Amino acid sequence: MFKLKKNITINTKIKIITKDARTFEGLVLPDTTNQKVVLKLSSGYNIGILSKNIKETKTLKKQITKKTKLPKLKTNKNLPTISILHTGGTIASKVDYETGAVLSQFSPEDIVSMFPEIKSLANIDSKLVRNMWSSNMNFNHFNLLAKAVEKEVKKGVKGIIVTLGTDALTYASAALSFILEGIEIPVIFTASQRSSDRGSSDAFLNLYCAVKFAKEANFAGVAICMHGSSEDDYCNVLPACKTKKLHSSRRNTFQPINTTPIAKVTTENIEFFPETHHKKRNNSKLKLKLLNPKLKLGILRFHPHFQSSMLEPVKKFDGLIIEGTGLGNGPVECVDEFTKENEKTIKTITSLTKEIPVTMTTQCVFGRVNMNVYSYGRKILDSGVWGNHTDMLPETAFIKLAWLLSNYNKKDIKELYHENLRGEISERTLYND
Amino acid sequence: MTDLDYKKLGFKCGLEIHQQLETHKLFCNCPSIVHDSNPNIKIERKLRAVAGETGKVDAAAAYEIKKDLKNIYEACSSSSCLIELDEEPPKEVNKNALDIVLQVALLLNAKPVDEIRVMRKTVVDGSNVSGFQRTMLVATDGYIETSKGKVIVDSVCLEEESAKKVEKKDGHVKFRLDRLGVPLIEIATDASIKDPEHCKEVALILGMILRSTNRVKRGIGTIRQDVNISIKGHPRVEIKGFQDLKSIPKIILYETKRELSEIKSKKKTASHVRKADPDFTTSFLRPMPGAARMYPETDVPPIPLEKEFLLKIKLPELLTEKVMKLEKRYNLSSQIAQELVHNEDFEKYVKTFKISPELIAKSLIEIPKEISKRFNLTTEKINRSSYEEVFKAIENKTINESAILEILTDVAKGNKINLKKFKKVSTSGIESEIKAMVKSNKKLSPNALMGMIMSKYRGKVNGKKVMEIIKANL
Repeated sequence: MFKLKKNITINTKIKIITKDARTFEGLVLPDTTNQKVVLKLSSGYNIGILSKNIKETKTLKKQITKKTKLPKLKTNKNLPTISILHTGGTIASKVDYETGAVLSQFSPEDIVSMFPEIKSLANIDSKLVRNMWSSNMNFNHFNLLAKAVEKEVKKGVKGIIVTLGTDALTYASAALSFILEGIEIPVIFTASQRSSDRGSSDAFLNLYCAVKFAKEANFAGVAICMHGSSEDDYCNVLPACKTKKLHSSRRNTFQPINTTPIAKVTTENIEFFPETHHKKRNNSKLKLKLLNPKLKLGILRFHPHFQSSMLEPVKKFDGLIIEGTGLGNGPVECVDEFTKENEKTIKTITSLTKEIPVTMTTQCVFGRVNMNVYSYGRKILDSGVWGNHTDMLPETAFIKLAWLLSNYNKKDIKELYHENLRGEISERTLYND
Repeated sequence: MTDLDYKKLGFKCGLEIHQQLETHKLFCNCPSIVHDSNPNIKIERKLRAVAGETGKVDAAAAYEIKKDLKNIYEACSSSSCLIELDEEPPKEVNKNALDIVLQVALLLNAKPVDEIRVMRKTVVDGSNVSGFQRTMLVATDGYIETSKGKVIVDSVCLEEESAKKVEKKDGHVKFRLDRLGVPLIEIATDASIKDPEHCKEVALILGMILRSTNRVKRGIGTIRQDVNISIKGHPRVEIKGFQDLKSIPKIILYETKRELSEIKSKKKTASHVRKADPDFTTSFLRPMPGAARMYPETDVPPIPLEKEFLLKIKLPELLTEKVMKLEKRYNLSSQIAQELVHNEDFEKYVKTFKISPELIAKSLIEIPKEISKRFNLTTEKINRSSYEEVFKAIENKTINESAILEILTDVAKGNKINLKKFKKVSTSGIESEIKAMVKSNKKLSPNALMGMIMSKYRGKVNGKKVMEIIKANL
């Protein structure tokens, strides 16, 4: 029996002769297991060869991994410094074309070598905070990020870029928006929907526009900078608390909800939208108001055939966000022989609101909550659910409630929840097409 | 063609064939419509040289070069979705396409790999919206038998077609996306092709094998041949853009002569790509691209080719075998058999109607040709039901064989079949009429007399018998 482990080492060039008398020469790739050898042939193609089909092997050469040392970046005294904080995701990952492995590249030299055009805009400082997919993050990571931002602010940089996976980006941007109280410079989140190993990646424009905005715009606070269309023509700078990932794969997935973008950025130009009331760069003092990682909060969606038992585990939680139907409604009325469960649901909610904050948002994505319009909405409102007349995204409401619970006295939370603190609630719903 | 001693010249030649497959696109469910008109989607993108591609130092330079060049992509919703627009990850490999490629691989005596890994081949000219072409090695180590010995088939790959460039102007290149993602099989031989005629033979055999599956696209642009040649003292040259297979030997001959004169004049040339021109010469197209950089397509999982799966693949009968069978079984000429091999209905008609296979073959192949030649008509209106009606009438002996041409001509003109018009008239019935005609036109030749009779009874009587009567009464 052929012994794989003894004869085959990853990253070596080998010759394999199979039992059907074929000869393959190539580099053994890291995907190789005891069952199958994954080989990169000289033609460039990868193939898998089952170990049981291998007759003999011969090691040809051990691959020497050349680590090219990048020249140290020179500081341009005429340019300001922009810090880039990485948390992983596709934007700053690079494919090793030899093995196909994804390498994370996070030194300033690496970033500039991947995105050489940003060198002309600013001196780049770059830090790796964590290397992970955004969906795996929790409050601890948002706190880590906030602390990293504080460190850069203290250095006196002109602006900060945060790169993150797109999936949970709006949770992170909302979290930092609340945590970074009094932030006096731009903190711009950016990401990519197409990995930067491909020539068509959106990362290039996204990062360029983010750096340009962080450097040049008279703006203070947290925002998101991403493709504004499917084309490579401009990016939108979007409000951190009022933006949603609306498409699972398109470049312009991030769209402002119940508001307009803050600005439109091209490689040449920054143009602010007239309706936005953003803060300008200032001399206020940044104060971190971190999230309490021990808090347990959840988001729950109302839907037909809702079972009240879904609410049982919430009793041990610190807060609950409901995504109601329409204006903030839900299955809470018993109207015939089939709807007795609804009675149980409203009873459970009533008892929950006595213990923890329960707030209403809408699953419609767009629009405002108004629980006064229908009888069943009023029933929910009367049960002690918060959030009437707010137009917060469920993601933002979730972060805001957690942040309030982390930093304020219980008695003040309700009023603060309904107050616009970071642009998360619009006073008026504007007509936008 | 034999004025050069190719063996002595150290002639090396390999053939690469790209053929579009007759199935939906490779990584999405869009139909493989090429030549879609009236695009309703138009987007502009910039494709840049990814840093590291040309070495880290000159990445910036590469960017500078590319940054102002826009790619404009036009597409129709009927043939392109978000996947072509690089706005959605690919779905799994089209199983049908893979099945066709495996069929061809087995017909080429090639051995499938144990596990296919889909690759991204970097393409920077804009013809792939993503910046790369997806491709996979499916089988290796095949061969075909030729009149001059075995030719090795190094590899059989499955890949996606690129977008078609339709315009190049200052600052932008315009592409159409209907063709992007159409499945392509790529067959590459080794360099053991012996001479220009041999190259044509190899191309013909490979084409025949591809068509035997009956699952490849037909028509202009659906198959492309690239020929790699070199002789002693001259670097390898690749020739693209052959208009037809017949031109291959002449083009290779001229190219070899050109290379010989280059060697003679001591002109130094690097390996490069040339284009086949209509006058059989070739012209410089571009330098030989460096080894294509490939890295894994991480969005598509590897595809194991299990034995059980491979055993299920049904191999079609080769067209050459089919032709021979038709010739033998129905006593047909090889020319007619070669054309009939593409006709699905022939054998069905032979089984259904008690009439001679030769007549059916003639009706399916030669008569339509005659109609279009003689009357300058297209024959697409002649369909299955026209043939069935005609063959039934022949079987029932209500019309004569000679009526087939007349009836089908009527159909081609757009008229309905009117069998009554061609109702068979027995020659004995008009014998007296013929006699009378011969008597009163004694000066006329038999052929002229025949013409007179046939103008009245064309398609209704047996011409041969009419002639016999005329001759007997002269």
